[in-house]
Parts: sequence; structure tokens; C-alpha cells
Amino acid sequence: MPTIIAVDASLSMMRPVPGRSDHTYHSLALKGVGNLLDNLAAAGKLEHLALVAFTTVTELKVDFTRDYDQIRQAVKKIEAVDKACLITMLKTAVNIMQAWGAQNVLQLVVFTDCGLGFGSTSISAFLETYIGRESEPEYAWLKTLATYKINFICLGVHSDAYFTNGLALYQQLLDAAQLKGQLFMTKPVKAEGGDGGAGGQNAGGATSHVSHKSELGRTAVFELVERLCESSYKLTEVKLKCGSYFRLESSVMLWPPVLPYEQPAVYDGDPIIRTIDQRIDVCGYLALSDIGSPASLSRHWVLPKVERTASRRSSGMAAASKPAKLTLDVTNPNYEFEKLEQDVRDFYLKDPKDAEESGDDADVTVVSKHSTLPLSEQQKETLCVLLHGALKMENMAALVLLGEKWYGFIYAFTDAKKKSNLMLNVLPPGTNVIPWLGDIEMLGFAEDISPGETASFPVRAERRSYSQSSVVWIRQASLQSDVQKVLRHAKKMPDKTQHFYKELNRIRRAALALGFVELLEALAMLLEKECAQLTLNGANTECTLQLQHAATELRKTSNRDIKSTIVPLQKVGGTVDAGAATAATAATPAAYLY
Amino acid sequence: MFERNHKTIFVLDHTRYFSISSEQYISLDFLKGKFPSGAAEGAGGAGGSALRSGDGTMFSKSLWTCAVESSIEYCRIVWDLFPGHKHVRFIVSDTAAHIVNTWSASTQNMSHVQNAMVMVGVPPRSSVQSSDYSVIHGLRAAIEAMAEPTDEQLKAMADGCQQISNKGRVICITSARDNTSMKSLEDIFNTVMIQQNALAAPPAKKGLVIDHCHLVILNIVPLGIESLVTNRNLLDISPLLAVEIHTVAAPEISSKLTHLIMRHYDLASTTVTNIPMKEEQNANSSANYDVEILHARSAHTVVCGKDVSVLPTSIKEGAAYETVTLKWCTPRGCGASDLQPCLGQYPVTPVDVTSRPSSCLINFLLNGRSVLLEMPRKSGGKTTSHMLSARGGEIFIHSLQITRSCLDETPSIVDGPGGRVQEYRFSEFAQHVKLSRLMPLKTKSVPPDSLRPEHERLCRRLRYFPLTTGTSILYHLQRQMTWLPHFLHLIVKEDMEKPDEVRCQQHIYELYTSASRGDMLPFAHTNGARLKGNKIKDQYRLFYRELEMLILMTGQTQTPHHKNLLESLQSLRTAYGDITPKTEPAHLRSYTESPLSPERLEPNTVISSSNSVSLLKASKRRMSGSGQRSLLDIISSAERSQSSKRLDFSGRLCTPLGQVAKLYPDFGNKEKDSPTPGSTPVSKEEPLRS
Repeated sequence: MPTIIAVDASLSMMRPVPGRSDHTYHSLALKGVGNLLDNLAAAGKLEHLALVAFTTVTELKVDFTRDYDQIRQAVKKIEAVDKACLITMLKTAVNIMQAWGAQNVLQLVVFTDCGLGFGSTSISAFLETYIGRESEPEYAWLKTLATYKINFICLGVHSDAYFTNGLALYQQLLDAAQLKGQLFMTKPVKAEGGDGGAGGQNAGGATSHVSHKSELGRTAVFELVERLCESSYKLTEVKLKCGSYFRLESSVMLWPPVLPYEQPAVYDGDPIIRTIDQRIDVCGYLALSDIGSPASLSRHWVLPKVERTASRRSSGMAAASKPAKLTLDVTNPNYEFEKLEQDVRDFYLKDPKDAEESGDDADVTVVSKHSTLPLSEQQKETLCVLLHGALKMENMAALVLLGEKWYGFIYAFTDAKKKSNLMLNVLPPGTNVIPWLGDIEMLGFAEDISPGETASFPVRAERRSYSQSSVVWIRQASLQSDVQKVLRHAKKMPDKTQHFYKELNRIRRAALALGFVELLEALAMLLEKECAQLTLNGANTECTLQLQHAATELRKTSNRDIKSTIVPLQKVGGTVDAGAATAATAATPAAYLY
Repeated sequence: MFERNHKTIFVLDHTRYFSISSEQYISLDFLKGKFPSGAAEGAGGAGGSALRSGDGTMFSKSLWTCAVESSIEYCRIVWDLFPGHKHVRFIVSDTAAHIVNTWSASTQNMSHVQNAMVMVGVPPRSSVQSSDYSVIHGLRAAIEAMAEPTDEQLKAMADGCQQISNKGRVICITSARDNTSMKSLEDIFNTVMIQQNALAAPPAKKGLVIDHCHLVILNIVPLGIESLVTNRNLLDISPLLAVEIHTVAAPEISSKLTHLIMRHYDLASTTVTNIPMKEEQNANSSANYDVEILHARSAHTVVCGKDVSVLPTSIKEGAAYETVTLKWCTPRGCGASDLQPCLGQYPVTPVDVTSRPSSCLINFLLNGRSVLLEMPRKSGGKTTSHMLSARGGEIFIHSLQITRSCLDETPSIVDGPGGRVQEYRFSEFAQHVKLSRLMPLKTKSVPPDSLRPEHERLCRRLRYFPLTTGTSILYHLQRQMTWLPHFLHLIVKEDMEKPDEVRCQQHIYELYTSASRGDMLPFAHTNGARLKGNKIKDQYRLFYRELEMLILMTGQTQTPHHKNLLESLQSLRTAYGDITPKTEPAHLRSYTESPLSPERLEPNTVISSSNSVSLLKASKRRMSGSGQRSLLDIISSAERSQSSKRLDFSGRLCTPLGQVAKLYPDFGNKEKDSPTPGSTPVSKEEPLRS
């Protein structure tokens, strides 16, 4: 989900936050950006981010990158210039986003104090000219912008009329241009006491006497960013299951998040919004070469879920000093398995003394690390890595069930730089979405094949016009080349007698289907001429006799029937040479049926 | 649901007028001698000049031939691109309507239509033209055909769909005198349709109500003849009917229909340019050719959205539509198996199916190779926007992603959680993957509703599967102990039989003897070094525990053999002090049946014969003599005889009889100073010494 972070660099951002001598709006915005980066980094640094600062002009500070430090450095250098011009920024954002096309979910995060702008570049001035002229080409960029998700982190306090006016106008802009926007703001603190708890983001901050301190500060901004991440940057978490053993069912994160799919109703009615199931089940495996490159709705990384909370199995110092089983949860249904695995793991650990003795052993050093360091995430085995390794080894993919009559496949994807990870391709819902695999629900294992039956990919389609010898004479050239082919064989008779009649019948049949009797007559004449020609040149008698025979047969109205086939002249009087003999033996009518 | 192009009906005028010539003449003399390739090679240039043109080999197609060939070409494209989804019917009209095919799938194909057309034949030239001959019969039949449901519509009815949309298109190839007769044609059509809908309404309910019909009238004239009928764009005649009229010279019908089909099915054209092909004459040189193909328009729009201007286009000579020109990329070992990020795949068909460049491209693709197509980028450079590949005898155009993707830089799995763990059981899982390969079945015993049963079967195959050899004794040792893989294979067999069990029992016994000898298990990373202290005992203890787990997991479909194995294993573990013998009676029973138990009497006796049959016999013999001793008795006596040979634990020696010896009396006082390996509080058993 490529994201542009836009920071308002107008002079108004330099105002101190009311009641807070330690913060300006600007410093809060920078803290907010930092917090957003922290959140996204914790989620795996997967998002591509760009940074712009906007005033009268919008300046791209950092182009799309996954190197968040670059943004951290650049954001510090943003300085206030003049007035905010939101419209220019939005327009520039559309340009910056262009490289991503329409296949990605694009997002915009704006840190602003909701300034209204001044004069002709102000929001109200824009709205005045825009409303009523929506469809004019000059506003076409707004149609593109409408596909983005726009998030405003609105910095301000509700007792500030300038800010609340701004909010109203921003909302008006979003509605007028039909943008998918959301304004994130602190909850207003009631001016009177009584229900001070309502707006209390800061613990203990809500006193009956209202101070701005409780409404807008570092914590409040972090909370806004938190809400933003929750609503827009949440990975899809599902359970992946490929076996009964408890380790073969594991929580995985899908990134980018799997979007709901709008499935048109089968016959009538409204489309159904579908989301994938919470558990995706592996139903079997397919060779990647059999799958090919089918159309997919979307692609996602399948990443192991990182346990943020202290893991129950974290051993390390704890495991070394006290029995490992104490860290296991006895009530866990998999307790027995976990305990066995832990005991085996402990068994393989060498005593520290032994490790010293045979310190040169590579395995031992790895193992001994386990006992001294906390078992870090990287060292805990995951299903994703096992599945990835096995699939990569076999060049195969796991077919997974994503929902009712909805499938996808997981495979090891390797990029040009040889970096590899587990990827999920989500297929469109339905069971007939890959024609060459046939009905997905008709797939089964080798032992299900009934005796005497064979099963292999691809599932063959009926023959298309291009894979059978179609006759189309719309262009004269194709008619001429077909006729030419017959003549070519004619000249090579008796060697090519079979081919000659095969082609002749092909043409005759096509001509009959088109009611093209003129061609039959023309062809008969042509053959006669050819015959005369060849006789003059002293050609084989067999050849001339066959040509004469073919011409006569073409003219017979009794042969204008679908079932009739012109067969070679059986007996060639007197001159039975080797060639004629072969022609005669091959002259069973069946040989010419096609 | 059912779009207008779901049903198309061609009405072909088969009246006498259609037997006349299209006035476009074809000469076959052209072939003789002068033709650059082919003919010359056969004739050797000998008699080329003997025949002059105008010798009577000039002939022309009739209007009928033009109408048939172009309408068949229309459905060739439809059936290539939308197999089984879009239906085309033919009705021939002279003194009555002749139905060529129906909506049923068996008649919706080229060979059926062509064979039927052989029987129709060209309209007789000699017959007397009477008022009986009319296209009206065909139009009436077309309306009736429109009211007939297709298989899909029947299914929708069966599924309980109340409102089945039923729109369609009638393409009528006829010839009318003037606008007035055209008008009357329209009026009759409209009236008949209203009548038909009245029949379809309750109570009669004969057929489906026609929601709307699009009538395309192609008014055909021979080449060079002016028509009194004026062309007209789509016009609504009634709420039910919209009509358009085109007057076309007979040789142009095909081109007209190609233009119309693009609109009718929302098709787009792509021209693959710069295809290098060997010359027929000179195999050493190659020239570049272009091939034009048709496909659903989405193949373009899905790549670049509604703004198709990104794609390079051109207009072919004589055509009024644009074709997207994409350059052929000579494949560099790019097989059809390379997975491309694909946004959509659509069947294609060549515009000119018989031309040599088309068939070259088609054969190249049908032979399993795929072709990437590239387009220039506005910013300079090139990018591959499409791919052509054939699968199962069908050619598809794949639309690829041309914009940047957020998945561009792969986060390496090695850097992720678990990425650095060394001992994954990759090859064993890969083996499972290979064995669980899916195949396309022709029949299934139960009509499938989902692949969940397959998932469940798959799960059953992996009841116990530690991910790494670092968390398993059995799968770790599998590579070192030659008998172990087969043993494990026998254990997980769902249909274990008696010989299998005997075999397993034997292995378990051998394991026991080596355990009692204190043999080391051949772990890979110990490098043959001696295990210290209690680990020697632990290795067997864990082995048994894991084995029991494995049998328990597999044993969910338990055979009595699994049960027997489990019981002997549990007894072993009891003997080993691993579990407390709570379930004594069960053991007793099991061991009266076990073929191995009596042999335990003297564990030091090495059994020379490993033959399971003799073992079995021996056991039966012993059983009768040894009375009712439980396995526990047997093993503990073996233990006793073992332990009697060695010095007792010193702690026990200095503790008065009857009292419990206290282990590590100093434990807890100076924790840091007790690094002795055997001093962890878990191990309460004395170390086994051999």
C-alpha cells in the first residue's frame, strides 16, 4: 500500500499548541510521522513510503522507499515556509502516485492543522469554482484521487474555532469531490466538567477544569496514528493449516491485506461482498508448470506471525535456570507435544562445559546460543519456512481453500535478485477459473483415479478453429493457396495420390458447405487443363488418369452429398507400376475420411 | 446475468436472388507459373505459359456463398473466444424456415453447422419466384427461437430464479427492394415479437418473454450495384425492438461482420508485430510478419484502466477499428511454466485463421512455448504488457501488470521469523508434497462440493510431524539408523497387519536390548562423543516417548496391532521408570499375547535369529512354561540382575535402610558452585552405568 506522507509546512504550524509551551503543531506533526514510521517498521517495513512537504508549492522530499531512516532524516529538515495549499498538494500527489497504476491500494497521510489557505488557492475558493464543473477535464485528476485512501491527522483543539471551521471545510471538500477520506482528530473535551472522562486520552489528564494539555499532546497524536494504523495498515491474519500436527497449523500474516471482493450475483440481485476465511486449508499440491500464469485477483506475502507478547516458550535464561516445562502451559491442548519437543531440544543442548570442549563444531555453537540467549524469533522454527523450502525444492504450489468455492495457491516466489518468500495468489471465486486445470473440485489424489483411467494436466479444451484445419476463403489468397496445394500434389502423382485426394475432398466438402458449386466446376476444369498439360509433357499415365477421374467425379451431382467421398481410380489399365500399386492398396475409402 | 450477446440468431435469406453472382471474380489461372512460390517448384516452370488467363477459370461466389462464409466466420470467432457461454443459431429461410441448429451444446459448433449447410445448398436458380419465398419465415422462426431457453437459462429456472433476462440479437442477411419493404420487415418483426410475448405470458407460458431484441439487417447486393435501401444506425422501433440497417456489397459482408462483432461482444484487436519467420523459399533468411488476433476488450483495459491511450495503436488498411500493436519478444528460454503476475487471461483467435503467419504463430504457441509482447513506455524504454501462451490446446492472452507493484522487493524468508533455523525437515515435507499431488479426475465417488475432504485426508497424513530434526529423536536418527525409516513407515500404516506388528515388536525389542547394554544412539552432532551422565538414559527415554506419541497419533484409526505396540511400549517405559504403571491389568493382558515378552527373561541373551516367525514360535513355547509373569516382573528382574552387578549409588549406601536417600543435600546452599552435569533437579533417577 504505497503511501505518501504529507506534512503541512505552513507558518501556522509553528504556533505553539495552546497551553503547551513544549509543543508546536509542527513538532507534534514530526512526532506523529516518527510514530507512524515506528508502527510500520514494527509491522515488517513492508510499506513503500514517500514524503512531501506542502506550502504554496508541494515538494517531494523523499521518493518511494522502504528505507524509513531516510524519511526520518528528511522529516527533521522540514521547515515552515508560507501558507498551506492543500489542493496543490493533492494534485501533486496524483502525479507522484502515477507509477503505481491502479493495481495497488494507494494511501495518503496528511499531517496538518487544517488551515484553510488564503485567496485563490484556498479550499473555499476551489470549492466555489469546482462545484458544478465536476466533469470538466481540468478536474480529471480528482477522479484518480478518489481511488486513494486519504487520511488526515488533524492537529488542533476543538475550542479553537479556526480549527473546527477547517475540519468542516475539509469534510466538505471530501464530500464534494467524493474522496475516500477520513479525518482523524482528538475527541473534544467538554468545556464544562462533569463528564471529563469522555475525552480523556491522557491518563489523569481529564480534570474538571479544562486544560488544552489534556486534548492535544504527544500521547494524543500517537493515539491518532494508532487509530490510523488500525484502520488502514492492518495485515490480514489467518490460520494456515496443512496437517493435523499442531505445528502444521499456524497463524500467518498476509500482506498487502486481502481486500474484500465484490462478487456479482449469479442471476439477479446485488453483488455479494466476500472476504476470505479465517482459516485457509491446504487441499493438495500442484506443479507450478501445470498451473502456468492464471489470472489472479491479488498477490500477497505469507509471513509468519511474530508473537509480540512474551512467548510462553521463550526459554533462554529462564530455561537454563529452571526446568523448561514450567514455561509451558499445562492447559494447552498441545502441551504433551510441546513438552516432548522442548525436552528433545533440551536433550540436544550440550552442557556449557561440553560446548567449550568441542567449540569448533559449527552445530554446537548454534545450539549453545539457544541456551544463553533468549530464543529469538528468527530461531524459532515456523511453518512458513518449512513449506517454502519444500515447495521450492519441488517447484510446486499448495492449493488452498480460501472460502466457499474460492481457491488460491501458495508457492515460493523468487525475484530477480534471488530473494525468495512464500506468496499467495488469490484466484477469482469459482471452481472453473483456470481452464487448463478443469473444475478445481474435480481434483483428487493419485489413489482416487479409477482403474484404467489416466489423469494428467492440462485438461484439454475442445478443438478451437485454429487447431483444426479450418477452411476460410474470405480472402482470395487462402482459396488460391488451397487450390494450389491440390495442383502441387496432382503433379506428383502417383507418389502423392493419397494427398491429392485428401486435399481435393477437403476443398470439395468446404465448397459444398458454402454452396460454392462454382468452385467445383472451376476446379474440374483446372484439373482437365492440368491433365492436358501433363500429357503434352509426357507425364505418367497414372497421373493423367487420376486427374481425369477426379475432374469427372467433381462434376457429378451425385457427389454433392456430405457422405460421399471421391476415391482414387482403382484400376489403372495396363500400366500397373509400383506407384499405382501403392495407390491402389491405399485406396480404401476409409483412408480419405477426415 | 444473461447479456444480449448470450443469444444470437442468423437468419439467412435462401431465396432465388441469392443464387446470383457476387460479381467479384476469382481467377485460378493466376496460380499458373506466375505464382512466386509453391507452384513453380512443382511444375518446374515447364508449362506455365501454356494457359492464358480468361480461359474460363474465372468464376465468382454467389451471394449465398458470401452470406454463409461470413456468418460462419462470425460464429468461428464467437465459439473460439466464448466456448460454451455465447450461443449462435442459424435459420435458413425460403418457402419455410429451416432450423440449422438449436441452443443445445451439441449443435453449437462449426462442424455441425457446416455439415448442415451442405444439405441446405445453394438456392436453386431455376425455381419460379413466388411469394412463398420470403425471409419472413426465417424471422418468425428466429423470434420463436429467441423465446426458447438456453441450457443456462433452464438452469437458472431450476435454481429458482424468478426474473430471467432474455435479450438477444438477430442478424438477418437478406436483400430488400427499397426502404418501404425494409419498413414492412421491421413492422412484421415487431408484431410477431409482441404476439410471441403474449404467448409467453400467463396463462399459456409458452417459452420465455423476450425482453428486448436487437435486429441487424444486412442488405446484400452484388458488387457494383446501387441499392435503394438507405443505411440506418440503431433506432428504437418499439420498447422491445431496435433495428439497424446496413447495405453491403456481397464481398464486403465479412469485413462488415468483423466490425460488428467487435461491438457485439466487446472485443479488441491486438496485432503482434515483428514476428520473425523463415521464408518458405529460402530457409536461411527470415522476414518479419504481423498477426492480428481478437480477444475480449478487458485484455487491454485490465492493464491500463480506461485510459487505453497508454497502449500503442494503429489502424489496419481497410479497417475502421484500432488495433493495439505489440512487439514480439523472442522468448529466451521462457517456458509457459514461468509464473507471471497475471491480471487476466482471455482466449484469443486469429483474425485470419488460414494465413501462413497466423498458423506459424499458432503452432509455435501450441507447441508449448509462450511469447511475451512488449510495448514502448511513454517515458522511454519498453515493458512487457501481455503474454501469449497455449494450454490444453487453447491459446490465451495474459494481461500482465505494467505498473510498479508493492510486492516488487521481496522480503527474504531467511530474514524472517524462523528463517535461520538449520534443521528443517525440508526433504521429508517435499516428499509429502510430491505424494499429495492433485490430478484432474473424471469422476468422483461423491459429487464434490469443496476440496475440504481432500484437505482432511491430507491432514491425516501429517498427524505427527515435528518441523525440525532438532525437536525430534526419531526423525533425527532416521538418517543414521538404517532400519528406522522402514520401521516408522510400518508404524504409520493405517492398515497395519500382523506381520508388520511382529516386525515392529522385534525392533522395539532390539532397541530395548541395546538400551540395556547402554549403547549410544547414533546422534549426528555428538560426533560419536560419549553422552554424559543421565543423557545416556534420557536418549532412550525420549525415544520411547516420541515413539509412543507417534503411535498414539497414528492410532486414531487404531488397529489392534497399533494397540499391542502401544502397550508393549508403555510397559517398556514403565520399566524404564518413565511413567508410573497405573494401568497394570492392561499390560498383563497385552503381554500374554505379546510375542516378545518371554525373551526378556534374560536380556543379556542375544537372540541369534531375527526371523520373526521363529520368534513367534519361541514366544509361544516360552509362554506356556513361564507362567503368568507380567512384563513389569520380567523387566524389573532384568533390571535387578543388571544393577546387582554394579556398585550402588553412594547416596543410597550411606542412608539407613528403609529411609529415602536425599539427593544433593547441599543443593540450594551454593547453587552457583554446583555445575555438575547430573545435578539438575529434574533427574531423580540414578544414572545408568554400564
